[in-house]
Amino acid sequence: MSQAAGIPAPSVRAAGLCSAWGAGAAAVPADARAAAAGRSLLGLGRPALQGERFRRATRECLWALAAVEAMLEDGRAERGAIAGDRTALLFVSAAVYGASNRAFIEGTGGGTHFAYTAPAVIPAEAAIEYRLRGPSVLLIGGPPAALRAMWYAATLLAARACDRALVLGVETFEECADLYARARRRTAPPLVEAAACLWLEPGDGRLVLRSGRGGSRPDGARRLGDMLAVGPLAEVALRRHEGHPDPLGLTGAWRGEVANLIITKGAG
Amino acid sequence: MSRLERVAVVAAGVTTPIGQDLDAFWSSLLTGASGISTIERFPVADLRVGRGGEIKKLTRIKRWDRVPDCRATRLLVSAADELIAQAPLGPAVVEPARLAVVVGTALGGVEEGERALAGEGPRRRLRGALYDSPGDNLARWLGARGPALTVSTACASGATALGIGADMLRQGQADLVVAGGYDILCRFVMRGFDALRSLTRDEVRPFDKRRSGLLLGEAAALVLLAREADAGRAPLGYLRGHASTGDGSHISAPDPDGRGLEHAARLALAEAGVGPEDVDFVSAHGTATPLNDRIETAVLKRVLGPRAPSVPVNSIKATMGHTMGAAATLEAIMCLLAGRHGQIPPTRHLEVPDPECDLDYVPGTARAFRPRLSLSTSLGFGGCNGALVLESA
Repeated sequence: MSQAAGIPAPSVRAAGLCSAWGAGAAAVPADARAAAAGRSLLGLGRPALQGERFRRATRECLWALAAVEAMLEDGRAERGAIAGDRTALLFVSAAVYGASNRAFIEGTGGGTHFAYTAPAVIPAEAAIEYRLRGPSVLLIGGPPAALRAMWYAATLLAARACDRALVLGVETFEECADLYARARRRTAPPLVEAAACLWLEPGDGRLVLRSGRGGSRPDGARRLGDMLAVGPLAEVALRRHEGHPDPLGLTGAWRGEVANLIITKGAG
Repeated sequence: MSRLERVAVVAAGVTTPIGQDLDAFWSSLLTGASGISTIERFPVADLRVGRGGEIKKLTRIKRWDRVPDCRATRLLVSAADELIAQAPLGPAVVEPARLAVVVGTALGGVEEGERALAGEGPRRRLRGALYDSPGDNLARWLGARGPALTVSTACASGATALGIGADMLRQGQADLVVAGGYDILCRFVMRGFDALRSLTRDEVRPFDKRRSGLLLGEAAALVLLAREADAGRAPLGYLRGHASTGDGSHISAPDPDGRGLEHAARLALAEAGVGPEDVDFVSAHGTATPLNDRIETAVLKRVLGPRAPSVPVNSIKATMGHTMGAAATLEAIMCLLAGRHGQIPPTRHLEVPDPECDLDYVPGTARAFRPRLSLSTSLGFGGCNGALVLESA
């Protein structure tokens, strides 16, 4: 494991989760594999968002918005509370761009669809809708990328580059279901479509992120299923729902890297 | 925000349409050699514009045995080969677990997806379509066992990657970081920009009144970052500040007032602990689209204040096209080379001034000038903005 000194940890003000299991963390089953009942992929469908602006938007963009909305609901906050240039937005995903890329490659998306092939457009839709104009970073990768997004959020908060940081993740799979079926060895079925958003604010603990190569795959997916990069964010939402407001330890593995994010309270 | 520890840029490596090492890249920038040509690697006859900054042949590496058949990976490995020729990265230099890789890209391995969906090659090619595949391949080639990150803030990715790499060093996440950006020309991106009508049939003319769009290019650019105390030898320069921000305005067009870019520039200067009065030179995004250049000019005037007309600003995109994920890293390297050599590369094809773009864009020929502190700005799809503050050694 690479060693890293801790930085001031953020606290979780709110968490929003939308997954194929249903609305919020309450819908997450005790055992994903049993609940999937043999299905290898569980889809979210398309959220029903009203408005002309959303007519052409892809469903992954709409799920990003839905996750932010769920987060606001969890935090009992109005959208104005996160608007402006003091809110950072960190987006993470392993493969959400797959659907748009495939549509464009196969000619079903049309010329105007091209912009939606850029992963950056997904958080951009959320930024436009909620007027988020602060620091913004987008990491591509699996669960370790989500942990690193949380670390970077803590970095921005500690540097006072922002007052709050949203860590947003979206993973959708249905449009590429046949391709995931070929790559089943690489994932841990069931694949579960999900979007999650954490609202982080300066806290009073320490955050340490360590990573290394090798080691065993963490079993965080046992309850959630494989949500790729959304997994750690969903885990935070789940713990919060179950009465553990601060994540004490999260683990994620991807491409041979295993990352651990640890938050200790009160040592800040 | 207070001034942070300087991070040293120890070495660099580039693979570009105007040169596959730093010396060739630099001399082409100064002399105005063009990397723009008709694209030959894939069909373009059905497109409005079939020109771009294509690398005709990768000349640096003779054997590709250990490298996947993925063009994006090969551009990265070619740049890394130059980097390690300047600064070896073996286990004697850095423990592999303490060597991190952070690369930025707008397209990742999308061409692998195009090829796989067209039925070319083995099915495992699809795995290469993931945007973090080329970065992971680079980490393996380097023998790096530390964190391997891919960032995708569209065409600002090459700036974001350097900024995150610097933060990883400051916080002890790694002892050395190979950071940079890449992107390749492929049908996917050429079709896309063609559909958007963003490509020009004319020359790329940044800040010129007649400017009518951009051309795309392909490249990889990498730097080796180290904490200043660990740099060990005369570095190329230092990364002093970084910020990446979002516009929250439009999915593909920049904010009409450039608020996000202005915020990024101010945050980066604040992180560096310097003010606008300290900026000697600006490397602009300068895509030569009517909107970008006007917005960028207005932002630079606001950020630099009364000094703006006297600060040289250039754009190197006319020389090799817009290299997307590589662009910001290439421009950062250009800033440091300008400080080293005391020359600022010109903005090519700028001949007719635009009243709305009225800064000193270094038109015509290279200028003898040695910037100490440079500001580099970048913009991208999704309202992404990046700003870097670089200090010459």
